[in-house]
Formats: sequence, C-alpha cells, structure tokens
Amino acid sequence: MNHQCHWTEVENIFMPREATIVRAEQATPTEKHFTLAMKDGRAMEFQPGQIVELGLFGYGEIPIGFASSPTRTESFDLVVRSVGRVSKAINRLTGGDSVWVRGPLGHGFDLAGLRGQDVLIVAGGIGLCPTRSLIQYILDRRDEFGRFILFYGTREPCLQLFRDDLACWRGADDVEYFETVDVGDDTWTGNVGVITTLFPKVELTPETRAVVCGPPIFYRFVVRELDLIGVPRENVFVDLERRMKCGVGKCGHCQINDKYVCVDGPVFSFAEVQDLEEAF
Amino acid sequence: MTTSFIRSDDLTAFLAAMLEATPVYGPVAKRSRFVFDRLESPEELRLDYDVTILPPRKLFFSPAQDLLRFDEAGPAAALEPVEKVLFGVHFYDVKAIDQTDVLFAERNYDVNYMAHRQTTTIVAANIQNVSGRAFFASVGTEVRPKGHDAFLTAVDGGYVLEARTERGEALLGYGAFRPATEAEIDEAARVNAAALERCPEKLEHGTAEIAAKVRAAFSDDDLWSDLAKDCFSCGSCNTVCPTCYCFDVEDTWNVDQASGQRTRFWDACLTEDFAKVSLGEGATENFRETPGARFRHRIMRKAVYLNPKLGGPACVGCGRCSAACTADIADPVRVINRIMAS
Repeated sequence: MNHQCHWTEVENIFMPREATIVRAEQATPTEKHFTLAMKDGRAMEFQPGQIVELGLFGYGEIPIGFASSPTRTESFDLVVRSVGRVSKAINRLTGGDSVWVRGPLGHGFDLAGLRGQDVLIVAGGIGLCPTRSLIQYILDRRDEFGRFILFYGTREPCLQLFRDDLACWRGADDVEYFETVDVGDDTWTGNVGVITTLFPKVELTPETRAVVCGPPIFYRFVVRELDLIGVPRENVFVDLERRMKCGVGKCGHCQINDKYVCVDGPVFSFAEVQDLEEAF
Repeated sequence: MTTSFIRSDDLTAFLAAMLEATPVYGPVAKRSRFVFDRLESPEELRLDYDVTILPPRKLFFSPAQDLLRFDEAGPAAALEPVEKVLFGVHFYDVKAIDQTDVLFAERNYDVNYMAHRQTTTIVAANIQNVSGRAFFASVGTEVRPKGHDAFLTAVDGGYVLEARTERGEALLGYGAFRPATEAEIDEAARVNAAALERCPEKLEHGTAEIAAKVRAAFSDDDLWSDLAKDCFSCGSCNTVCPTCYCFDVEDTWNVDQASGQRTRFWDACLTEDFAKVSLGEGATENFRETPGARFRHRIMRKAVYLNPKLGGPACVGCGRCSAACTADIADPVRVINRIMAS
C-alpha cells in the first residue's frame, strides 16, 4: 500500500471535462455527427483510433471513437448512433449545447508503424467513424505514407456517412477510394455486394498495412481476403467495439479473455486477438 | 516494528478506547452468520467468526459508490473518505484487499477506491473457526498477505499483536500492551499454522500447474457447458467474492430533477447482459452469450488471467462463492480439481 500519494492530490479518473457542440448534423436517420470544442479552449490531443467517454449528466456515458484527425486542432468530431438511453439523449442536443467528455482513452493506431507504408482501410457501416480519424490524418500528411486505398461498405446507400467526404474522395487522386452497398436502390449506380467484392478491383501487395473496422461478422471475411493477398496478420489492425463502461480498465465490461478493450485497445493487431475466442 | 501482548481481560478496554477515538469496523453477528459492520461497542466484536457474508471490500468500494455529483453548474467531487480502523480481518481477505489495491492503482489510478483504502488501518486476526467451504490453505500459497497494519492472534490468556506498520504500532497506545515473550510469539505462530490444517476443502495442485491446465481447457465447450448447466446466471458467486470488482455506472437524478449523482454499482460477469452491446435498430451482440462462456470467464479470471499482475491466482480460498451458489456449482475447488483430473 502506497501511502505517499495522498488522495486529495490525485485527479478523479471519472471526472469529465465540458465541451461545446459547435455543429450538429443528422447524418443518417439514426446517426448524428457532432463537432465539438473544449470549453476551456484547449485542443483535444489524441491519436486516431483512441476513444472518449461522451456523457450527459443524468443519463450517463458512452464510449465513442474520434471521427476526426488530431491534425485538425480547432475541434473534434464524434458520431453518435441512437441505440440506448444515453445516445438518444445526446442525439437530442444541438449546436451551442454542452456535453461532457473523458479522454482520450485507450490505444490508437500505431502511426509510426504505418508511416512510409501502403495503407488499406476497410470500413463497414459505422466503422467509418473511428477510421475517418486515420483517413483525415493520412490525407493531411499525405507524403508521409505510401499508397492509400480505402474501401467503404454499407448495407444501403441511405446509410452512407460523411457524404461530403465521400464525394471528395471519389474524385480525389490522393486516395484510391472504392465503395459498395449490400443492397442498392434506384439512385445507386455503384458496386453492389458485400465488402469483399471490392478486393478484386485493386492490386494489393503483401507489404500493405491493413486497418479493418466494421460489425463483428465483418472481420472474418475481410481477414480471409487479406490472407489470400499474403498480408501478415501482425500488419492487420482491427478496431473493436465493446461495452466500455468505465474506459479506464476497471469495470470489466469490455474484457475479451484477459484483455481490456478500453486500455489494451480498442485498436489491436489481428495477430494479437485472433486466438481470443471472445474477440469475434 | 514490535510484537506485543495484551491480556484477554484488557481487550475490551483497548477496543473501547479505540472506538472512542475513531470509527472501528469489524466482524459482528447477524442472525446465524457474520458481517463486517461498524462497532457500536467492544462486545459486538466476534473474533470467533468463520467467514463474513460479504468481504470487507465494501468499506473501500461500497455496493453503490458515488463517483461524482452534478447540478446545473456541472460536476463536483463526491469523495469523502473517513479515517477508520478495520479490525479482525482474516488473512485470506487481506490477500484479496492486496489484489484490489493493485488492480485499482494500476494503469489508471482510481482515487475513488484508493482514498478509502488509504484512510483505513487494517488489523488482521487469526482464524479461530473455519467455514464449511474454505480452502485458503491450498490456494496461492506463494503469496503472503501484505496490506495490513497489524496482526492479532488469540493465544492462551490473551492476544499477541504484531505491528507491521507505523499505523499498526500507533494502535498500541489504546491498550495495556506489554512486549510479547518469545513463548507467546511462538504460540501465535503455532495457532496460525494450525488454522491452515483445518480447511475442509483442498486444491490438489500448485498455481502455475493449475493456470496452465485451466487455460488449455478454454476451448473445451462441452466441459464449460456441463459445469454451468445448472447456472441461474444470478451472479451471487461474483457478489460475495473478495477479489471481484467489476461494476456498472449509472446516473440518477435527485427529486429536484436538476441535480443528481453518477454512481458505480457492483456488477457480475455471470449475469446475462454483462458483455452485451447494442448495435442499433434493436440488434445486439453478446460476447459471452451462454452460461458456459460466462462461467468459464469467471474461472479464467480467478485461476489464469490476473496471475501475472498479482503473482498468484485471483482467488484466496474463502469459500464464499461455494456457499452462496444456489445450485452449488461455483466451488472453485471442485471445478479446478475436475479439470486437473481430466
């Protein structure tokens, strides 16, 4: 027992900081895109892939991955899907309202390991939110990376997020962007099919670093494709979602075998978690 | 540090003086069983208890602990730790406190637990009566209890009090202690060794051997579903466990509907919803869906996962889970001995 460290001098890891909603936009029927700035005017310093606990007093907190790059210091983005009591309450808020955040928390993407390499990002559905942080980061520091390939899949066209970004990426020459929907509609002229149908569209080398984020079922199929290309599983990074209630490695809810997603992750190499039966 | 002796007749006056000076918590009778509670008088203390219903962890991490309070102006600290003495803790519960000390302090230092812990002076006591499901003599024997300030052992005609810290030493001022004799110190050691001989249950293997074999059994789904086939997913085994510390966090409003508190509540990984996440539009994913998967998680936590951090298993052999389990399937001795025999 260490009696040196007196409790009054220690910060409470559960004490959140106030942030102001700069902009709030209904991205899809269930998802709202918030742009936030810290009330004290300080920049939120984080790594792509890290999370925050986003909270509203009287309702609670939810873990959310940063959806913008730390290179854009004036504000940061979070996308909230209305699923429960807390997220529904937060999604009733608009510009000028306050929310409370704790973070950044957890381990993000290994940027040093990605620098100088070809990077493939495979995002499914809401998985585009946490990967958008890395996407923006790469685009903002484009010459630090090799080729940059982005796959994005949703169930239906109306569920696509960040439509302005997508329009921009479709015509961009600094990202090789491919998209698909499981089921098209009258307006959709693009690829129809599951995410793996995008792999034949581009030549990928075994040296590529792959980042994968999507629904639980997604990983098995995407990793199978990457195996065929010969990408070693240490070079495949997954961003996992769990019920990270405390975000600080105590409450136990996000545990996968002996790992705490909130502090050991949420980004893991696939090699690290592939043998953990509870991971996928 | 000194080792002292107090006569049985003088114990009441010692406790009375301590109660006068500071809040004291200790084992007291509750109907036919025992609980840790605040002592109102020295006579309430039952050093002859076998095991308490809940472990003493509740004094540092209560079943409902406010993490902060909030009102329209924002959040404020809710932490108000009180200096106190926790008196009469058996060594297995001291070992469990040592573990939660490590786990709440590591990585992100949790002041909400640590502040209550730091303001508590712990006096351990020898085990006079052994509970019906105890196996503390055969589990994690490589780990010794550390987090206590003094150790009290009942011997012929009185008690030997071995101070382990300055805080423990300071307690001597409350009573008529004299230095213990060699004979008294030897007798205390014999008394404590004898308690280890009286455990009704016993693990047959050492920590490392158990950890390796239990880990290797992870994928034996038939084994885990069989072990858990009568599980009600009630979480009683978690609730009474001195080394369990998982929690849920919930906000509640006060009646004014403007202020409230953010509170953590004990949670239990055996309950069905513990690892469930909402995916939206009514869809959910449960990462430990079956009773077998949850039962396995608990055994892995106790026998395997935390060993590198703790230097031994996250089980101290108190036997509370075995006694609390309605279906009587939680007993780690039966589970582990079965896996080891397979």
